[in-house]
Amino acid sequence: MLSERDKKGRFEWKGLFTFRGGISRPMELSLAVASFTILLVFWIALAESGLIREAYLPSPIRVAIAMYTLFAEFNFIKDVYISILRVMIAFTIAALMAIPLGILMNTYRIIGATHEPVMDLIRYLPVPALVPLTVIWLGIGETSKIALLWMGTFFQLVLLIADAARRVPGEYVEICYTLGAKTRHVLRWIILPAMAPTMVDNLRITLGWCWSYVIIAEIVAANEGIGHVIWISRRFGKMPEVMAGVLAIGFIGLASDQLIRYFHRRAFRYLE
Amino acid sequence: MAFYDHFLQIDHLSKWFATEHGKEPIHVIDDVSMTIEGGDFVVFVGPSGCGKTTLMRIVAGLETTSEGRIVLEGEEVKGPDRKKGVVFQSYSSFPWLTVFENARFGLKFRDDVTKNEKDGIARHYLELVGLAGFEDFYVNRISGGMRQRLAIARTLAAGPDILLMDEPFGALDAQNREFLQVQLLEIRAKERKTIIFVTHDVEEAIFLAERIFVFSARPAKIIEEITVSDHLVREASLELKETEAFFKLRNHLMAVCRAQAQRTEAMIMSPNAAR
Repeated sequence: MLSERDKKGRFEWKGLFTFRGGISRPMELSLAVASFTILLVFWIALAESGLIREAYLPSPIRVAIAMYTLFAEFNFIKDVYISILRVMIAFTIAALMAIPLGILMNTYRIIGATHEPVMDLIRYLPVPALVPLTVIWLGIGETSKIALLWMGTFFQLVLLIADAARRVPGEYVEICYTLGAKTRHVLRWIILPAMAPTMVDNLRITLGWCWSYVIIAEIVAANEGIGHVIWISRRFGKMPEVMAGVLAIGFIGLASDQLIRYFHRRAFRYLE
Repeated sequence: MAFYDHFLQIDHLSKWFATEHGKEPIHVIDDVSMTIEGGDFVVFVGPSGCGKTTLMRIVAGLETTSEGRIVLEGEEVKGPDRKKGVVFQSYSSFPWLTVFENARFGLKFRDDVTKNEKDGIARHYLELVGLAGFEDFYVNRISGGMRQRLAIARTLAAGPDILLMDEPFGALDAQNREFLQVQLLEIRAKERKTIIFVTHDVEEAIFLAERIFVFSARPAKIIEEITVSDHLVREASLELKETEAFFKLRNHLMAVCRAQAQRTEAMIMSPNAAR
């Protein structure tokens, strides 16, 4: 029985502190806003107190002004655009290669057994360590940056996709065959739809990684892009601009993540 | 119509499963032969892990034989196809499709049926299994029992010659299971399909089957074949389970199965003794 107190929301407060308890959507949202507010207040207090020099930690207001100036006077939108473009191109190529290969690695043992060990090795090479290689092989142009981002995402993604394909229950495949399907039907009508939710999650996570690699690529050698702006600002000791650049990446990352989550909820309604 | 002596013929079938390299293969089925006629309701009973499911899967074409062969309607079984429909215990229907789409999926790979006909057939079988009105529900919104009925509807919609069911009601609670047993008999009365039903539940076997094959512990051998109508008057009513004839047959089968289950246990406890 629900008591009068429970109905008034006491239950919800209790749920928050219960091991594996429940939470409502509005409560989740207001707590998220509260976290950000506390963080911001703490930051302002720290910056305004004078305990830390401005060259190390500028106040959020200074960062906001820097962000505005960057857009208004230094055509920052173009750098944002370039960075997004680099991520998009590299990520699209990586995904278009990783999805079919990942599925085939799982469905045909010969492909899996020959590719997986190689992918597994390359996956553990840290991307920053590959920068000298890409620069020597491909120079400092766009190709070298795209290649670096591709290397950072493709090898991770292909193994995640292979794993997602592996998790499709064998029963689904067998049922499909007993309905008169051919292998190409099974791929199209069973493997793909069954693994789709996991696959979209994998894409979302690796897109996030791609964003960290673009900054590495742009810091090393670039004339434009968010990473370039951050690095140049640092050289001139413009701390507010550095933080504005970092925040810009944070916002773009958050936005793309939320966008894919939204798509995930819409496309896979049956999971609710 | 092709000529053949029996609808389904299992001929000296044996099966070994390869294990790790260098280790002895596992002997799962040992020289099993039987014939099944069109319209039969056959139940395979035996202890868990005895190989009865493997036998059913070989009939479905989902596993190969090691020795012997299976002939369905005069043709040797080589692989899975539309003639042999299966219903599994779990993952029996597709969660990304609605109830209606699941039922219709049974006809997806048929070119000889128009789209409208497919819709009609899917609707017909949903009605037959009592799922009319749930067409637009996703699978995770319906109960476990409804999911199994949906699987039956999808399989029947494909128009198979034989229905192979692997413990389809094994994951359901007792009440639901009995309800589905009655429903399965009612569906069969309308559809007259040949059915092979695998279970380790002796009561379920007696209630459903025309013929029961009792299998030994691994490797599976037929140790007894029972024609149920020799022992009791079959009817699609749960009251049958209260009759004395049912009790007698149940106690007999229980005793046989229990002895086999103990053999399985003994094998697990001392693997060398079984060799």
